[in-house]
Amino acid sequence: MILQRLLLLMLLIGVCCKVQAQKSLPKNMVHVKGGTFVPLYGSDSTPVKVQSFLLDVYPVTNSEYLAFVSKYPKWRKSAVKKIFADENYLRGWASDLSLGANATKINNSPVVNVSWFAAKAYCDCQGKRLAKVEEWEFAALASETKANAANDAKFYQRSIEWYSQPNPTYLPPVQKSFRNYYGVYGMIGLVWEWTQNFNSAMVVGESRADVTMDRQLFCGSGSNGAKDVKNYVAFMRYAFRSSLKSNYTVANLGFRCAKSI
Amino acid sequence: MKGLLYCSFILCLGLGSCNQIETTDAHDTDAPTEQAALSEMSLYNLESEWMNQENEPVKLPQLQGKVQLVAMVYTSCTYACPRIVADLKRIEASIEKYKNDEVGIVLVTMDPERDTPEKLKAFAEENKLDAGRWTLLTSDEGNIQELAVLLSMKYKNSGNGEIAHSNIITVLNPAGEIMHQQEGLGKDPDETVKSIEGLLKQL
Repeated sequence: MILQRLLLLMLLIGVCCKVQAQKSLPKNMVHVKGGTFVPLYGSDSTPVKVQSFLLDVYPVTNSEYLAFVSKYPKWRKSAVKKIFADENYLRGWASDLSLGANATKINNSPVVNVSWFAAKAYCDCQGKRLAKVEEWEFAALASETKANAANDAKFYQRSIEWYSQPNPTYLPPVQKSFRNYYGVYGMIGLVWEWTQNFNSAMVVGESRADVTMDRQLFCGSGSNGAKDVKNYVAFMRYAFRSSLKSNYTVANLGFRCAKSI
Repeated sequence: MKGLLYCSFILCLGLGSCNQIETTDAHDTDAPTEQAALSEMSLYNLESEWMNQENEPVKLPQLQGKVQLVAMVYTSCTYACPRIVADLKRIEASIEKYKNDEVGIVLVTMDPERDTPEKLKAFAEENKLDAGRWTLLTSDEGNIQELAVLLSMKYKNSGNGEIAHSNIITVLNPAGEIMHQQEGLGKDPDETVKSIEGLLKQL
């Protein structure tokens, strides 16, 4: 009996928290209404269902990341273990707790040269998590005015143009980047971003090897081939993710956090 | 009640993800040397908590001190997983002369929802896995993914009960560093066996 009451209480608390979470959005997060979409890269044409979730408005900036490493010394440049972040970790920073001479230029720019482990730890410590590939791609379908601009030729053209631009010397502040339908900035045109399950793309590392892809490597659906290579932008993102390892740090790869509802 | 216990177990595991501020360096403590100073590339730097097939809590550094063969499976897999277990058994047969405290085999599930410690135990028994040699591990999804990415495993839960995944057998030295990886199924285990023997000679 007591146990039942306890359970009921827990259940009630759970429900309350849920309602509250929906009402008051955490600072700088937006609600992305779930739905289904056909991934532009996958083994079958069945639409993938994405539950509603919360997504950070901006990618994590240098100054935010600096606050994180100040609080958690194990993620400082000099302390981080190589298995969790390679030697280029936070390469642009002058030292453990200094962004260097260009601090004012890059304070509000996305933090880059961070590994998957570092990005994951950052989000964990905010009570958040990295966005899943499916969530990220779903939110990235949006143009300024439409939640799903997959069939908008102009939007697509713009996206592809960005991917053909070289990186600027200093990345722009996150607030200056492209703002989409959800009010999320920089999904296109700023940096690549880590996702929680970046290792879910079934593309074998080297493209040369893919031609005669060793099906034996895989179980289940065997292999996931390109579904809609028409969307070269999404294809590039999938290919890029599949080339990453968890301790890699890349000069134009940052991240943002998400949260389940 | 059992459900509650299970919940609290998951909760405990989940809390480990954001580690509190660590001001003391492991090297400065007087702890026995075998516990301290993990090399930078050791997989045992993961601080996550696991459960084995005996329902006992396990931390990865406990796997230190012997060569470990590691592979990821899920027990309801019908095609590749029985084959990867068969591949591991082939390797096991070639290293029979080495004792259990020299070489171990670790199977890690990719399917924590279905592969409870009980299920893993049943799987071990069905497949006649020597309990002295084989350790089967589960944890929460996040911890499993951390280990998976370090092993360069790619996997994707299709949602229909199947998990698409790469098949990799990894050889870890006694310090927990990756020394060799065998990719694919039904591969000639020669190189893997040689790698294990090479490591054991150094011991």
